[in-house]
Amino acid sequence: MIVRRKKLDASVPAMAMGDIAFLLLIFFVILARARDDSHLQWKPAAGQELTRPTTMNASVVVDKYNVTHLNGREIPVGTLAEELKVLLGENPAGRRTVMLKVHHEATAVYFEPVIEAVSEAGGELHHILEEEKNQQ
Amino acid sequence: MKLNRTKLLVEPPASATSDIAFILIVFFLVCASVEPDKGRAQVLPRAEPEPQKDKQSQTIDVELTRNAVILNGNPLPPQIFRKSIELKLADKTRDEDKIVAVKSRKEVPYSHWMAVTGIIEDSGGIITMQLEEEQTVQVK
Repeated sequence: MIVRRKKLDASVPAMAMGDIAFLLLIFFVILARARDDSHLQWKPAAGQELTRPTTMNASVVVDKYNVTHLNGREIPVGTLAEELKVLLGENPAGRRTVMLKVHHEATAVYFEPVIEAVSEAGGELHHILEEEKNQQ
Repeated sequence: MKLNRTKLLVEPPASATSDIAFILIVFFLVCASVEPDKGRAQVLPRAEPEPQKDKQSQTIDVELTRNAVILNGNPLPPQIFRKSIELKLADKTRDEDKIVAVKSRKEVPYSHWMAVTGIIEDSGGIITMQLEEEQTVQVK
């Protein structure tokens, strides 16, 4: 007598794919918003020979309305140095990078106190700029 | 005679949802990566309330106006400024002699400030910012 083996169907249900992908989508969106300053409006100044910082410990933005933000949160310039000191803590050199994003038209009266505050907190400044396009 | 009604409500195929969601993921990731993250590192000495004038031999003073550069009191065009600052810093060996005090007027835009400080750093200068301090004077 021949006993036929049952065929085991081991296919992944296609219906679940949508749910998995949707969960992944939510995961990425939440991850992107964790240190989010993408909602802030600013245009970088031009620069040459730009490099990517190896570490990023804090992000300071001076937007097109000359408002200062620390890690996406609005902050008065007077308290910026103290807040940065708390954020940077006792981190060794090389791990105290502060990404500074200043709108290209912001004036010295707004960005100089910010630079001073970063310097006072012992932060290592990294100005975020846009690669200069050579006009011919 | 019976007439069969055609079904108007048609369910979308469930197998397409994964493709739609995947395209959405790609879209969000591409949107997220547009934010610029390249730039230039800048070393600034820690802020001091008063500069130590007696220790420094001769600091180079650079004053910035809205679109001009003044080097030790002489207004210069950008190309000549680069050559002049390179010449001034060429013979300096000690770090304290390479200090360039940058003073900006209130209306100086960030793009201009970055361009000038970039030239100074490329020439080997160490930037310090000269800021006006607010003092409260009590009048009797």
